[in-house]
Amino acid sequence: MNTRFSAIPSADISADRAIPPAEVVLAPTTLEEASQALRIATEQRMKVLIWGGGNHQGYGHRVHPDMVLITTSLNRIEVWEPEDLTIVAEAGTRISQLEEMLAEKRQTTLLPNPSPTGTIGGALAAGLSSYKRFRYGPSRDRVLETKVVTGDGRIVRSGGRVVKNVTGYDIPRLMVGALGRMGLIGSVCLKLIPTPAAAVTVEVDDPAVALATLYRPLAVLSTPSGHSAFLWGTQAEVESQAGRLGGEVLSGHAWPPMPSRPVAWSLRLPPSQLSEGLERLPEGWDYVAQQGVGITECTADQVEIGAAKELRGWAESVGGALVLTNGPETLYERIDPWGTPPAGLDYQRKLVAGFDPYRVLNSGRLPGGI
Amino acid sequence: MAATLTGSNTKLRDDLIRLLGTERVMDSTLERHLYAKDAGVYIGNPTVVVMIETTEEVAQVVRAARHHGVPIVARGAGTGLSAGAVPEVGGVVLVTTRMNRIEEIDAENHTAWVGPGVINLDLSRATTPFGMHFAPDPSSQSACTVGGNIACNSGGPHCLSEGSTVNHILALEVVTDTGDVMIVGGGAPDPIGLDLRGILVGSEGTLGIVTRALVKLTPNPPDVRTMAVAFPDIEDAAATVSGIIAAGLIPAALEMMDQLMMQAIENWLHAGLPVEAGALLLAEVTGVTEAVEAEAEIITRIAHGNNALSVQVAVSPQEREILWKSRKSAFGAVAQAAPDYYLHDTVVPRTRLVEAMRQVYEIGQRYQITMMNVFHAGDGNLHPLMAFDASEPGRLDEVKAAADELVEICVEKGGVLSGEHGIGIEKRHLMPLLFTEMDLDAQARVKEAFDAGGVFNPGKVLPEGSRCFDFGRPVPEGAWV
Ligand SMILES: Cc1cc2nc3c(=O)[nH]c(=O)nc-3n(C[C@H](O)[C@H](O)[C@H](O)COP(=O)(O)OP(=O)(O)OC[C@H]3O[C@@H](n4cnc5c(N)ncnc54)[C@H](O)[C@@H]3O)c2cc1C
Repeated sequence: MNTRFSAIPSADISADRAIPPAEVVLAPTTLEEASQALRIATEQRMKVLIWGGGNHQGYGHRVHPDMVLITTSLNRIEVWEPEDLTIVAEAGTRISQLEEMLAEKRQTTLLPNPSPTGTIGGALAAGLSSYKRFRYGPSRDRVLETKVVTGDGRIVRSGGRVVKNVTGYDIPRLMVGALGRMGLIGSVCLKLIPTPAAAVTVEVDDPAVALATLYRPLAVLSTPSGHSAFLWGTQAEVESQAGRLGGEVLSGHAWPPMPSRPVAWSLRLPPSQLSEGLERLPEGWDYVAQQGVGITECTADQVEIGAAKELRGWAESVGGALVLTNGPETLYERIDPWGTPPAGLDYQRKLVAGFDPYRVLNSGRLPGGI
Repeated sequence: MAATLTGSNTKLRDDLIRLLGTERVMDSTLERHLYAKDAGVYIGNPTVVVMIETTEEVAQVVRAARHHGVPIVARGAGTGLSAGAVPEVGGVVLVTTRMNRIEEIDAENHTAWVGPGVINLDLSRATTPFGMHFAPDPSSQSACTVGGNIACNSGGPHCLSEGSTVNHILALEVVTDTGDVMIVGGGAPDPIGLDLRGILVGSEGTLGIVTRALVKLTPNPPDVRTMAVAFPDIEDAAATVSGIIAAGLIPAALEMMDQLMMQAIENWLHAGLPVEAGALLLAEVTGVTEAVEAEAEIITRIAHGNNALSVQVAVSPQEREILWKSRKSAFGAVAQAAPDYYLHDTVVPRTRLVEAMRQVYEIGQRYQITMMNVFHAGDGNLHPLMAFDASEPGRLDEVKAAADELVEICVEKGGVLSGEHGIGIEKRHLMPLLFTEMDLDAQARVKEAFDAGGVFNPGKVLPEGSRCFDFGRPVPEGAWV
């Protein structure tokens, strides 16, 4: 195998999960290098696993790779246009570093940033959004352009570097949540949001009252220890909204930490079903529930397959899902991490085939083993 | 698929009549003529026009059309401007306007299931009692359909803060190329699997027919300030827009109109616009009272720093309404002033508005075309409107040439072909300005995944020959892919 690629930046790899054993582990430094690697993989029919910060590798069916492509050397910030509220960055860039830079001009991508090693590409591929989505919508609404390397090594650019665009099919949106099946996300242009001046957290007794009282708060979260509303805006606005709620006001955003435990699930429900979902959580599960959004991230010490299946059955019956997002490798053999596959699998399969004709890239990871 | 179909295809017609009855299958010369074009300048040639009422009917029509090798062009209200609903190579024009039921409003989840033929404004009216609205608000909202909005990923003034249609669609019921019905997306966040809903929105009827949609509704704001700011010229207005965005403010809407446009509107509506000014900026901020007051103040300050002549704040709902009415009826006003118009749609990064506008007028001068402008300035979304007389020989070609130049200058500045009207027929030949052959091939693969047989809206969006690579290499001439 050729050795033109940079050495693995091992200092960058610290995560919950270890990189699985593979014949070849490469860290391309440019999209062209990634393209060469994937051409070779396609010619040799190798199974490739894409690895960013390793934070979200618990999503989806397991991949047993012949080749691992580490993206963290794809980490250039290409263009930042603060006045236009857009940024173009390579997808291996750590969200924490990017946010630190953006904060200098009071801007943010709104990407979830709980771990110092999380990369842009990893969060987007896993389809993740931060708690602020209640106010601003999911991450996929802010991906303006993508440059991806397809399974057979084509470098494909789609979308554009402007905030409003209907030129051609919205391939950037398709990349979000695709877990790499539609290509290795090489670089992205993201829409930025200005960070307002004031931020507070208000403890509330009843999340329903908070939802009814507040006009589009940033987030209303519930955990086993209570409920909080998160506000930001001008000082006057934040004070007036907080005043309407009553309750104890803390300055700044006291985001609840997600206890790191061996098994993690994401319960996704229509927002109106969230409270019932919380009632149905098995004993001892820890959680952060996003009121008004419908997502509850859960962690547990035990595997509890029976309880999970029961919860999943109910979630699916109301139009939701229970997704396994982390757990021991063996758990994935005992329960489908996704649950019942969605409609349109045939079209999903055909889409993937157009971008990865020889099924080399993260193959099998999506629902239905796509 | 047959390259060109003209006149009626009798066997297909008989099948359609069996499915729908005679009243809803139309193929007289007059009827076909009525459905030959949208609100743009291109004219097609429908084989037959059908008025659809149910999902099952759509499925049956798709199967029948496929069987006879005739393509299908979905059509809502026909207000599109890029010829998306124009049956260029003939085909069944499938009209959805009778699928106009708002089936269910779920106030708790802020959603509604609606038929594709529901008129945009009717949806917001129906949800007003619940304190909610459908955020995408194209200027054509009193006529255009939600199905058309979805197909074009339409925008509108308030998409500056709320995003385009795609941000407001949670699930779609779609009839696929096989005539099957599938529901993609859902009422719970982050549905698992590939985001088929996301790729179907904005696909201009080329991937499937939308037969129902679960839309997201947006809470009505508790307070609002709408401001009309007059400037000596368009450059000061554009500098104000950049200043507002750079100050970290994203208003609900930031719309601009130039003097010619103001005059046309004023002649028609008598709204009291400051016609002596060179440009007018309409800025709207929404939210809790404290926020809108603070934001209105910032906007006023930035405007004065850029030579604003006057800042008028709408005090009553009536004042606000007349300001928006003048904005949204701009194109109607122009229709009174010129026999024909070509309404363009391109985007530049919003930091480059000033130079782009300068070039818009320069192109107008060179082609001797009156350029009038009213546009979504906050998004950098230009809408130069070219008023002309199509009965002058060769004039339409000149207008089209000017239109292409407008796109070219926007792309040079880092912009794109279209911000909300779509590509359709109008701009497909310009796609290579923005995308390489490899990029276009990838888009063609998306089309191929959904509709390899080319049953849905053939020829739209992508230029001919886009599907041209295989395994990263050019497809050999004549290869079947
Ligand atoms: C005066 C005027 C002002 C306008 N202002 C705006 C504006 O501010 N913002 C904006 O974005 N647009 C604007 N438009 C353009 C147009 O109104 C929008 O694109 C609108 O969404 C089209 O809706 P329609 O129902 O008329 O669709 P049509 O014109 O009938 O169709 C448009 C496209 O949608 C497809 N389609 C329609 N229904 C379906 C379906 N059920 N399934 C699949 N495909 C379907 C058609 O095949 C076609 O490709 C304006 C147009 C006019 C004339």
